[in-house]
Amino acid sequence: MPLVYSNMQLSEVVEEHPSLIPVINRFGIRLGLGDKSVKTVCDEYKLDTDFLLTVINTFLNEEYFPEKKLQTFHTSQIIDYLTKTNQYYQRYQIPNIERHLGSFIAMSTPGNNSLNLIGKFFSSFKNEFTARIEKDEQVWFPYCRSLSEKLQVFSAEGREDALHLNSEQRLDDPIEALLADLKSIMVKHLSGDYNENLCYAVIFAISSLQKDIKQHNRIRYRILTPMVSAMEKLCM
Amino acid sequence: MHHNKQIAIILSDTLQCIGLQSILTDYFAPVEISYFPAFEELSNSGNDTFDYYFTNAETMVLNTDFFLPRKNKTMILIESRNNNEESSPSNHIITTASQETIIEQLGQFFSNDSSGSFSNENNKELSSREIEVLQLIVKGITNKEIADKLNISLNTVLSHRKNITAKLGIKTISGLTFYAIMNGFISGDEIGL
Repeated sequence: MPLVYSNMQLSEVVEEHPSLIPVINRFGIRLGLGDKSVKTVCDEYKLDTDFLLTVINTFLNEEYFPEKKLQTFHTSQIIDYLTKTNQYYQRYQIPNIERHLGSFIAMSTPGNNSLNLIGKFFSSFKNEFTARIEKDEQVWFPYCRSLSEKLQVFSAEGREDALHLNSEQRLDDPIEALLADLKSIMVKHLSGDYNENLCYAVIFAISSLQKDIKQHNRIRYRILTPMVSAMEKLCM
Repeated sequence: MHHNKQIAIILSDTLQCIGLQSILTDYFAPVEISYFPAFEELSNSGNDTFDYYFTNAETMVLNTDFFLPRKNKTMILIESRNNNEESSPSNHIITTASQETIIEQLGQFFSNDSSGSFSNENNKELSSREIEVLQLIVKGITNKEIADKLNISLNTVLSHRKNITAKLGIKTISGLTFYAIMNGFISGDEIGL
């Protein structure tokens, strides 16, 4: 997929890829974009154009992930973005799946036990996911921020080199694995009578959350984690 | 899990070759394509492990010794069908045909082949031993304990687990648990659900 550049009209990009709407919303950009270019919109909202573009482009292209470039952004920018994605999951996407799942179970044949089990599976996923988000907000992100603040005092020179150390990659994220299983169980192992339309709505909502989390995790494990371990080394 | 189709294109016409390559990668991925402008280069490469060969009638006729035994894996590009030769339509592509027709012919060509790179639908049912292992996994018993309980080695337990995941397409313990309940291998009460 061709990349998005700063001189392109944001409205055209969004019309082509409506899945970007929640992403730009996270940056505070709202619809009613007019004919403004990405750069103009960013200036108006006082956003870092480069950062927004990198996020948009990695979101649209699964193969595109400019690690070095992402690591040059400030830790607080990365954390802000990850925090916003977490909020979006908690406030909208999770409740959205819940709503669809609720009516899916209610509108399908009562007594289809496999649906109730899917409902239970989802709530166990939700618990695990909520726990991770809470830990992010209360422990992990504040810790990252404090490290980065401590380092402000140091010169920025040594930092660059250290940042590229240790970019190990987490392959199996438990949250991603649970979502993949939830989808797979529905697609492969659903049985009995059920409401087709609502079933699709549930799977569609799960897929869109899955895509978003995948992107969140890439930044989390391949950018923030190595940043933090590099900062830890510098603080020692 | 997906097997890359190894494809050799033996054609001297560069544009034909690029066109074919783009159709193959767009519509029949995953493919791995090697390009040989002349047959000699293919034979010199010493590699004859390709799954499919694409060439033209001329090259085919000049090298029947090579292509006849590989007849089912070879697709021949011809310019037009004016010589009423309807003998083996599935192994010919008319280069002047519409893109739609060509894609359909390629689709048939790849699906006729019985090498089985696509279908892994068989044997999805769990064996009774795998069901036993599954029941123990979802109760939260460790691999080591499962091995002791069933009197099998730890490695065997691990390979059962691998097969279960591969057959069901489910990786997490929670996922396996719900699968086991849905299929009555275990009741929700047993594990406190």
